[in-house]
Amino acid sequence: MHKNRIGAYLFSFPSFFLTIALGIYPVLWALRYMFYDYQGYGTPRFIGIGNFERVARDAEFWQSVANTFVYAGGKLIITLPLSLILAVILNRKLRGRHIFRAVFFLPTIFSASVMSIVFYIVFNSYNGIINQYLLKLGIVTEPVDWLGAGFAMLTTIIIAVWGAVGNYMLLFIAGLQNIPEDVYEAASIDGVNPAQRLWYITIPMLGPVLQMIIMLAITTSLKGYESIMVLTEGGPFGKTEVMYLYLYKLFFPLTTTGSSVQNIGYGSAVGFTTAIIVGLVTWMYFWLSKKLNNVY
Amino acid sequence: MKKRFVTKSTVSVSSLLVMAMLAACSTNNGTNTEQTQSAAQPESTAEKTKISYWSIDRHDMDYMQQQVDSFNATNTDNIEVEMKVMADNYNQAVEVAFASKQAPDIFRSGDFQTFVSKGYYAQLDSLLSQEFLAKFDGLLVEDIYSKDGHVYTLPNSGQFWRLIYNADLMEKAGYAEPPKTLDEMVDAANKITEQGKSAGVYGFASNFKNGSGFTRPAFASGSLSSATSHEGYNYQTGEFDFGMYRDIASAMRQIKEDGSMIPGAESLDIDPLRAQFAQGKIGMYVNHSSEPAVYASQFPTDIRWASALVPTKDGQMNGVTWVNAGGYLGISAQSDKQEAAAKFLEFLYGTELRAEYQEKGLGLSVLPYVSEVAGKPELAGIDGFLPTKYDGMYPVTPLSITDTKLEGKKFTDVFIEYILTGKPDLEEAISDLNARYAKALAAARAEGLTNIEANPSFNAASLQGTLGE
Repeated sequence: MHKNRIGAYLFSFPSFFLTIALGIYPVLWALRYMFYDYQGYGTPRFIGIGNFERVARDAEFWQSVANTFVYAGGKLIITLPLSLILAVILNRKLRGRHIFRAVFFLPTIFSASVMSIVFYIVFNSYNGIINQYLLKLGIVTEPVDWLGAGFAMLTTIIIAVWGAVGNYMLLFIAGLQNIPEDVYEAASIDGVNPAQRLWYITIPMLGPVLQMIIMLAITTSLKGYESIMVLTEGGPFGKTEVMYLYLYKLFFPLTTTGSSVQNIGYGSAVGFTTAIIVGLVTWMYFWLSKKLNNVY
Repeated sequence: MKKRFVTKSTVSVSSLLVMAMLAACSTNNGTNTEQTQSAAQPESTAEKTKISYWSIDRHDMDYMQQQVDSFNATNTDNIEVEMKVMADNYNQAVEVAFASKQAPDIFRSGDFQTFVSKGYYAQLDSLLSQEFLAKFDGLLVEDIYSKDGHVYTLPNSGQFWRLIYNADLMEKAGYAEPPKTLDEMVDAANKITEQGKSAGVYGFASNFKNGSGFTRPAFASGSLSSATSHEGYNYQTGEFDFGMYRDIASAMRQIKEDGSMIPGAESLDIDPLRAQFAQGKIGMYVNHSSEPAVYASQFPTDIRWASALVPTKDGQMNGVTWVNAGGYLGISAQSDKQEAAAKFLEFLYGTELRAEYQEKGLGLSVLPYVSEVAGKPELAGIDGFLPTKYDGMYPVTPLSITDTKLEGKKFTDVFIEYILTGKPDLEEAISDLNARYAKALAAARAEGLTNIEANPSFNAASLQGTLGE
């Protein structure tokens, strides 16, 4: 018994070590610096809650928070219903369903950055394939600047949906396979149509799985910034700047933006604030879904 | 028995995992190394003084390796240099190397302020002879190469900024010569677009995907026009005054309003811009002396293109076009072979070596002792980029450190929004920028993050002729 316990400790040591070194230590490191003015060199200067006062009046940051909600909201509103519908369809005993599942899941295994470069080429306005088709079909008379100020957010959302649908579809399929077949059989005897089937049986019976998937989708969407960084770098003039990209630039200034000095103190405070925002949204979602559970 | 086996195997597996992790953690300065090129060395290595040299330049890798080999074979001090060409994230790699006391003896300089503040550089003035340092007289700008009377790194090559234009399109538009004033630039862009729009040809482009879409044309034209300012900073008053970009911003706004800006400029990156220029779709843009190499290898082109000094408001040149030439090499403050590293550094600054480097088209030198003897580089299109009377190196400005204290939008975003949308009102935008940057600069000064102060006697005209005739 005692030796088994030693074994358990030894086995858990690597992941314990990694969690401490790569998870907890950086968080503690950032927690300390959010009360300091620190550019990465010299002596950090303690400024109390100075960084948080700056966060409170930083219109750029709050604009990036608003952009994040537009981006995440847009992504979720399209992704979740679409992936559920796909899951319901591909959960049937259709011929070739495994191939379809694989095709829809494929974007998940591609690197977001690499695919964003491809999409940058596909969407560009001077020779991008989307504009070429739109012009040929006569839908537009001039190329559309899909990554310009007017459409950049919409384009980044579409690309995010493309990357996420397959992943959530697979999670939904896993959930659907836990719903007993006899419930559907009983319903079909009662003569329900496909829409009623989805609304009154499938969705309620997905229950906790649905709750987890939505929570995952919310946190992932709020934290997403990689493809935006490649596609627009948050531009043009901040139109697609999301909060994690804003944060990233404080720690790792992009050379193309001119500044090369890190802003570690302020970045830590912004990082803490963004974590609180994501945490709050997740908590609100849990609270709401619990309330709804009680109602229904 | 079974339990014992389980425990033993558990211990073995865990030990292996921990060893693997430790091995991964202890990877030394080979991490991040893209390519290690070790010179073929003669037999007796025991008495040799081995020094390590880190570079980040890939474009001159083969040439520099030849020079390292030549130094290893010919130096009489028994010094052996090992050159490593590092991959991206160079600053972080250097940081890790210094933190773990595994820094290279001599290395490609990175962000000067950071490197000097962290104590990475040895003081070159105590390692190099006065005679050698005299070759850099008048060039060792404070906060770029030196600090508080000590030299930490030295200049070498620089980027020279020009208006790059398609000569055929320009001639078709009725311009025998490239525009010298901003009005001419707007007009030329308009005429090129009028004639070529049906074939997808537009007069002007800049890469507005990020702030450099503004700074490329604005820094070049703004500084050449102004006798007092660079990067929005007025050296005489010691304050930011973005009024220096009023004319170039208005000109670019006009180009946008006229429809002469290539569609999609809002999301354009520099490489797609170059690809379009190489296909003859763009009349003009502003960039630096890397372009000849780009059009020779990255985007080979048949179009007839050339470069000229950037236009100013009325053709008047009161200052110089900025040349960005950061420090080239530093010697590690941690190294116990600094003297050997200094000998290698002096070798790399040899007149013949540097002249040949320029002639091969690997980089344009900012060193007058090199420009005097170097022949014309073997690279099509490089002629227009050679140093002129109107190229010069400005003293450092407090822009970067001020950015860390700035609240609200950066000047690049404000100007780009104005150019693309006409909003906000330009005068209001400039005065708002001046006020916010003044506040940020005051905060940076109050905290001692910069000691750059007003210099009432500064005159950018005095920089004219420092790099070329």
